[in-house]
Amino acid sequence: MDVLAKNLPYLLSGAVMTLWLSLAVVSLSTLLGFIIGTLGAVGGRTLRALVTAYIFILRGIPVLVVMFLGYYAFPAFGYRANAYVAVGTAQIVYAGAFVAEIVRSAILSVPAGQFAAARGLGMPRGKILMHVVFPQAVRLAIPPLLNTSLTTIKQTSYASVVGAWELTWAAREVVERTLAAFQIFLGVMAIYFCICYPLAALSRWCEGRFVVAH
Amino acid sequence: MIEVVQLTKSFGELRVLDGISFGVDKAEVVVVLGPSGSGKSTLLRCVSFLEPYDDGEIRIDGELVGYRMNGRGERVPRSETENARHRQQVGMVFQSFNLFPHKTALENVMMGPLHARGQAKAEALEIGLALLAKVGLSDKAHEYPIRLSGGQQQRVAIARALAMRPKVMLFDEVTSALDPELVGEVLIVIRELAREGMTMIIVTHEIPFARDVADRIIFMDKGRNVEEGPPGQVLTTPASQRLQLFLRRYQGDYLAT
Amino acid sequence: MDYAAQVTAFLLGQMPKLLAGFAVTLTVAVAAIPLALALGVVLLAPRLSGRRLPSGAVQAYIEVMRGTPLLLQIYLIYFGLPLIGLFPSEFTCGVVGIALQHGAFLCELFRAAIESVSQRQWEAGRAIGMTQLAVFRYAILPQALMKVLGPLGNQVIVLIKDTSLVSAIGVMELTLTGKMVIERSAASFEIFVAVALFYLIVTAAVGAGFRLAEQRYAGRL
Repeated sequence: MDVLAKNLPYLLSGAVMTLWLSLAVVSLSTLLGFIIGTLGAVGGRTLRALVTAYIFILRGIPVLVVMFLGYYAFPAFGYRANAYVAVGTAQIVYAGAFVAEIVRSAILSVPAGQFAAARGLGMPRGKILMHVVFPQAVRLAIPPLLNTSLTTIKQTSYASVVGAWELTWAAREVVERTLAAFQIFLGVMAIYFCICYPLAALSRWCEGRFVVAH
Repeated sequence: MIEVVQLTKSFGELRVLDGISFGVDKAEVVVVLGPSGSGKSTLLRCVSFLEPYDDGEIRIDGELVGYRMNGRGERVPRSETENARHRQQVGMVFQSFNLFPHKTALENVMMGPLHARGQAKAEALEIGLALLAKVGLSDKAHEYPIRLSGGQQQRVAIARALAMRPKVMLFDEVTSALDPELVGEVLIVIRELAREGMTMIIVTHEIPFARDVADRIIFMDKGRNVEEGPPGQVLTTPASQRLQLFLRRYQGDYLAT
Repeated sequence: MDYAAQVTAFLLGQMPKLLAGFAVTLTVAVAAIPLALALGVVLLAPRLSGRRLPSGAVQAYIEVMRGTPLLLQIYLIYFGLPLIGLFPSEFTCGVVGIALQHGAFLCELFRAAIESVSQRQWEAGRAIGMTQLAVFRYAILPQALMKVLGPLGNQVIVLIKDTSLVSAIGVMELTLTGKMVIERSAASFEIFVAVALFYLIVTAAVGAGFRLAEQRYAGRL
């Protein structure tokens, strides 16, 4: 156990990097996904087709492959981006597809009657979207969005395979140095668990609440 | 044949059955009327022992339903096998039909004989076809419930219950979930069963049907037996104020209080 | 057009390597899927038993699997087992890691499918005198199996994508093959486009297969 204690500061700094990465990716991918998902639900025919293709492609390939693509694509186009930017961008694009799908299906599953009722009252399209459709879509979308964020946070660990230093890479370094695989890896799993479990619990609580509200 | 004595049941704080008592003779058709929340459904479910009851007795042909007296004279719950066998003798048809969606109409009717009684497939098939013919659905034998109308599904449900050759049939508001034009086909089947001498307890809102088919009507309110008697008497000259109010609402004065 | 021709020629040249990697990816998946399914079923009984200790233990296991990255779990197995005298191959470590995590998710999936069959179906079965076991076997389970097809398909697709992680411990599957090609031949990112295409073909095929199965077997629900 002292192995863990001795290396804890180092590991915790890795955890901080993981948290920064997670924060950046989750917030930007959610933003990206919201925009794309909305366009995919209410846009014109070509736009919707493009969104469908984007979602289909990105959901069909592993996030690790997308990360590798990002890592090697940047220099190929002449940008000397650092590992974090490359991997982070890749993850944002990847997670954005999942968010887009959630947002799109949430908007589309607001009952058509709602739209009809609002138009019957004479509301213009933009207002209907903002005041009638979105609030209900958001309620539907929150539990799956929380789950997606959870997955995204765990996937920041894959950045270590591509070459960006964060908690999992730190853990591997320590283990290769101290050979204390069980203590270190279990300890790091506990750190990830502390980060992730509140989110998982929140998602389940929301599921309970919103189902009732509907 | 059926004896209900001081039947009591509560769901937590709410007392749903409050010491109700009545009897049903063999081949008798008893219709139970009452406002919602009066405990009618719960009563049927206790007779079938889909719900346990807290106090009182239900006896069918003298045998206590759901419980048994042990050597020390205490009441203990019966085993699951005993209860399952009891339910084979009590046919129940639900308001929401509850057909098995993954089986055809014929397979639904065969479920009981095959998997509750362990009969051979050929026997079960015969029973199934005969009963579907009886309820007028021979041509729908191989359709799945999703392709049947509400009235057709309910008739299959009746056939399914009859497949176990029960001693008594319980009907729990079986037409309440149907579109008006589909109600008739179900009531015709029930009336035919009554004519053949099946013992029945029917919970319904269809007052004209009750008048036609019932040997006796029981009016329930707040878990109790408020009034009882032949339909000609109870429906035309209700004695209790609560029944008078109930009937007024059902006979056109829907705002009555 | 010269660029496109060059890239295509290069990728075609790498095809044997890519196919080999693809075969390994499929092997990992084909090995892990039955294990994960078996684990999911085995965990189901305690989870549904209604008794606090077994159900709670399974729930805790599922929470841990849900709250920690699969990569770490694979590392734990790969680096940890040798310390207690076991020396499984990288392939085995990867398969076991994937199966342990996905088994947990599959258990939850199965549970949700069973619980989504309406209570009224239980009542209908009991009302005609079937025992609880008979109701489960002939009424509930068949319906649950039909309802599980959709979510199961999605989970299998996630599993196939997760096989890419075993590249981290040196299994020469498709993703690692792509990385090797770049490192050894100074190739550019296009190789990963080819890699992505391989994955896309598999996941699209599996997705279509499950959707077809859903239509055929669950259409009457």
